[in-house]
Amino acid sequence: MSEPDTRRPFAVTSRYGGERKVVGERMIQLFFGGNAFVAVLILGLIMIFLAREGLGFFQLNRANLEVYRKAGLEFVEPLRLQENQHNQLVRRMFDLRVESARALGRNTELDREAINARLRPLDDFILAFEDAAEPLIHASMNLSDLAAEIKMAAIEWEETEEYRGGLKPDFDYETARESLVAFLGTQERLNEMVAANLRRVVNQGNQLEWANTALARAFAELRNEALAFATDLPGAYHEMSTWDPNEPVPTWKAWSVFLTGSQWLTASFWQDWYGVLPLLTGSLLVSFIALAFAVPLGIGAAVYVNQIATRREQNLIKPAIEFIAAIPSVVLGFFGIIVLGELLRQFSEIGWMSWWPGFPVAERLNALTAGIMLALVAVPTIFTLAEDALQNVPKTYREASLALGATRMQTVWKVILPAAMSGIVSAVLLGFGRVVGETMIVLLCAGNRIAIPDFTRGLEVFTQPVHTMTGIIAQQMGEVVEGGIHYRALFMVGLLLFVLTLTINYLAQRAVRRLRLPTI
Amino acid sequence: MDPTTTESPSPTTPAAASADAGRPAIIEVEDLDFYYGENRALDGVSLAIPSHQVTALIGPSGCGKSTLLRCFNRMNDLIEGAERTRGTVRIRGVDIFGPEVNVMELRKRVGMVFQKTNPFPNSIYENITFGLQLQGVRSKTRLDEAVERSLRAAALWDEVKDRLHESGLSLSGGQQQRLCIARAIAVEPEIILMDEPCSALDPVATARVEELIHKLKQEFTIVIVTHNMQQAARCSDRTAFLYLGKLIEYADTQTIFINPSDSQTEAYVSGRFG
Ligand SMILES: Nc1ncnc2c1ncn2[C@@H]1O[C@H](COP(=O)(O)OP(=O)(O)OP(=O)(O)O)[C@@H](O)[C@H]1O
Ligand SMILES: [Mg+2]
Repeated sequence: MSEPDTRRPFAVTSRYGGERKVVGERMIQLFFGGNAFVAVLILGLIMIFLAREGLGFFQLNRANLEVYRKAGLEFVEPLRLQENQHNQLVRRMFDLRVESARALGRNTELDREAINARLRPLDDFILAFEDAAEPLIHASMNLSDLAAEIKMAAIEWEETEEYRGGLKPDFDYETARESLVAFLGTQERLNEMVAANLRRVVNQGNQLEWANTALARAFAELRNEALAFATDLPGAYHEMSTWDPNEPVPTWKAWSVFLTGSQWLTASFWQDWYGVLPLLTGSLLVSFIALAFAVPLGIGAAVYVNQIATRREQNLIKPAIEFIAAIPSVVLGFFGIIVLGELLRQFSEIGWMSWWPGFPVAERLNALTAGIMLALVAVPTIFTLAEDALQNVPKTYREASLALGATRMQTVWKVILPAAMSGIVSAVLLGFGRVVGETMIVLLCAGNRIAIPDFTRGLEVFTQPVHTMTGIIAQQMGEVVEGGIHYRALFMVGLLLFVLTLTINYLAQRAVRRLRLPTI
Repeated sequence: MDPTTTESPSPTTPAAASADAGRPAIIEVEDLDFYYGENRALDGVSLAIPSHQVTALIGPSGCGKSTLLRCFNRMNDLIEGAERTRGTVRIRGVDIFGPEVNVMELRKRVGMVFQKTNPFPNSIYENITFGLQLQGVRSKTRLDEAVERSLRAAALWDEVKDRLHESGLSLSGGQQQRLCIARAIAVEPEIILMDEPCSALDPVATARVEELIHKLKQEFTIVIVTHNMQQAARCSDRTAFLYLGKLIEYADTQTIFINPSDSQTEAYVSGRFG
C-alpha cells in the first residue's frame, strides 16, 4: 500500500556515514568553546600575574615602614613638620610683600626704587622672622641627616653577604639612635628660645604700615598664626618624647599607607612613600573632565544621528566619529601638547576670560588639557554604544508618540531616551572604563605632578597638573629594579586599575540587565 | 467615479464619492496619488468618510489601505521618499497637506491605533496621560479624571483600576490593545484610525475590541483597516474596497457584502481571491 521511502534514511546504518558529520560539528563546538575558555583563562592569568607581582609589595612596604621607624626618621618627623610650617609662614609673608609692592605701584606715583625703600621695614621684618627660627631649622636639618645616615647604614648592613648568610647579627639600631634621641635633652630649652624670638619679632610687626586695609588684615591674620605657631612649639616635643621605636608596625599599616597615603615619593633622600591617592584622584579627576565633555557630545551625536539626521548626514557623521577611535593615542597626546595646551594657555590669558576659575592657567599641561583630549577617546565609545541603544528602542514607540501629537524632540526626550536609558548608562560607564585605562594621552598631557589636586580651590582644581595611575606605571616601570618595592608598588597600582575597570564593566553589564526593556 | 454611489455628491467635494445621506463628510479624499519613491501606492483615490460612523478599508495585501489610512494623520511623512504627488485630503474642509497645517495639532485630532500593540514601557497611568502631558496638562485631578474616563470608554477600567501604576506591558495582548485605544481617546480626538487593530488578538479579545469600536462611534469617527471580512461586515457602516492602489468600490457595508456592483469586489468579499 504505502509508497517506498526513497528519501535519505535518518537511521544511519553505515559505520561512518553519520558519525563524520557529528565529529565535524563537535570540532566546531570545541573551537568556539575553546575560544571562550581562552578568554576566561587569560583574564584569570592576568589577575594572577598582577596579584603575584603586586601583593608582595605589602610585605616590603611593611619592612620599609619598619626601617622608617627604627632608624628614627619617624622620630624626626614632627620637627620637620615645624620647619615646614615656619617655611610656609615666611612664604606667605613674601606673598604679602609682592602684593604690597603691586598696590603701591597702582595707587601712587612712586618708582621702583621708592617702593622698595618704602617696603624695607617689611623686608627686615621677614628676615628677622626667618632668623628667629634658625635654631629650630638647624636642629631639624641635623637630625634629618643623622636619621638618614642611620637608615643608609642599616640598609647597607642588611645587604651584606655576611648578614644574608646569617653570619652577622641584626643591625644595632639602639646604639645608632643614641645621638638622635639625645636631642630631647636640649629640645625644651630650644623651644623656649625660639618661641621667645618669634614673639618678639611678631610683636614688632605691629609698627608696619600697609598700603590698604585688606593687606593689613591679611597681615594681622598671619601674625596671629605665627603666634599660634610659637605657642604650639612644645607639641612636637611631646610627640617625640613619647615616641616608641620598638613598637611593631602592624600589617594593616602597609595597606593603609598605600590605599590612603597622600604621597607618592620615590628615590628620595628621606623616605619613599607609596600612597596611591594622588594617582587615583588624578585619574578620576581627568576621567571626570573627559566624561563631562564626552557624555553630552557622544549622546548628543547619537541622538542626532539616530533620530534627526538624514541618511546622507548619517553616512558622513558615523564613520567620522568612529574614525576618531582609530587615531593612535600618541598622536592625540602630541596634538594635546602642541596645539591644545598652547591654545588653552593663550585663551586663558585673554583679559575677559580671567573670571573663569583657574584662568590664566599656571601650567600649559594640566588635568583640563588631558581631559579634553581624553574626551576624544571616549566620544566614539559612548557614541557607538548609545547609538546602538537608541537603535534598539522599538520603532513602534516612536510612532505611538508621534501619533499622539508629540514633536520629534518631545519624542526623543520623553520616549526614546528613557527607553534607551539602560544602554546609555552602560555606554557612559564603558566610556569611563576606556578613559581610566588610557595611558599615552595622560602621560603626555596631564602635567605629571604627583599631588592630590587641591579640591578646596573649587573649579580651579581642573587646571592643576596631575598624575595618573596609568601614567605612573608607564613612566616609572622602565627604571625600577625588578622585584623591588617600587616595582611591586607599580604592580599594585596596576592591580587596582584592573579591579577598578572590572568593577566598572560589571556595573555597566548590570545596568543593561536591570534596566533592560521587556521585549514585546 | 464610483458607479455604486447613488447619493448626491457633497457640495465641497464634487468629485469625491459622497458620504452617507444625512451625515456630513468629515474626511474628504480627492483624486489622491501617493508614491513611495518610484512605486505608486495610491492611484486617484477619492472618497468621503462620514462622521460618527465606522468606515472599513478592505482589500488584498499591498493594495494601499495602510497608506491611505496613514495619509489622514500624515504619518507617512516619517517615511523617507514617501510623497503625495496629486490630490487632496480635507478634514472638516481643511486641506491637511496645506502649508499652514500644524502636523502635531492634526495628530491630536486624528488619533491612531496600530496593528502591533505598542504601549510605552511605562505604567498604565503614564501611558494614558502621555498625550495630555504633551499638551501641558499638569493638574492631577484632570489627569486622574482623564485616565478613568478613557479607560472606561475603552472598556478596560474594571480590569485595571487597581493596578494603574503597573507597567502597561504587564497586560495581556487584548488589554494592551484596549490600552492603546484608551491612550488615543485620552487626547479627545475627533477621528480614530485603526490599522488592523485585532490582527494579533484571539477571538475573545477581538470580540471585545469590536464591541468597543461599535460603542466608540457615538463619540468618534472611526476608520479601520481590516483583513477580516466578518469583522468589516460586523462592525462597519461603510466599506471601501481597494485594489492595486485604486478605490474599486465604496458603499454601505451591506451593499458591499450582499450586493456589490463590481465583480472584483464580489470575488474578494466572497473569499475567491486576495
Ligand atoms: N515604507 C514603505 N516604503 C516603500 N514602499 C512601501 C512602504 N510601505 C508600503 N509600501 C508599498 O506601498 C504599497 C501599499 O502598501 P500598504 O502598506 O499601504 O498596503 P496594505 O494594503 O496596508 O497591505 P497589508 O494588508 O499587507 O498591510 C505596497 O506595494 C507596498 O509595497
Ligand atoms: Mg497595512
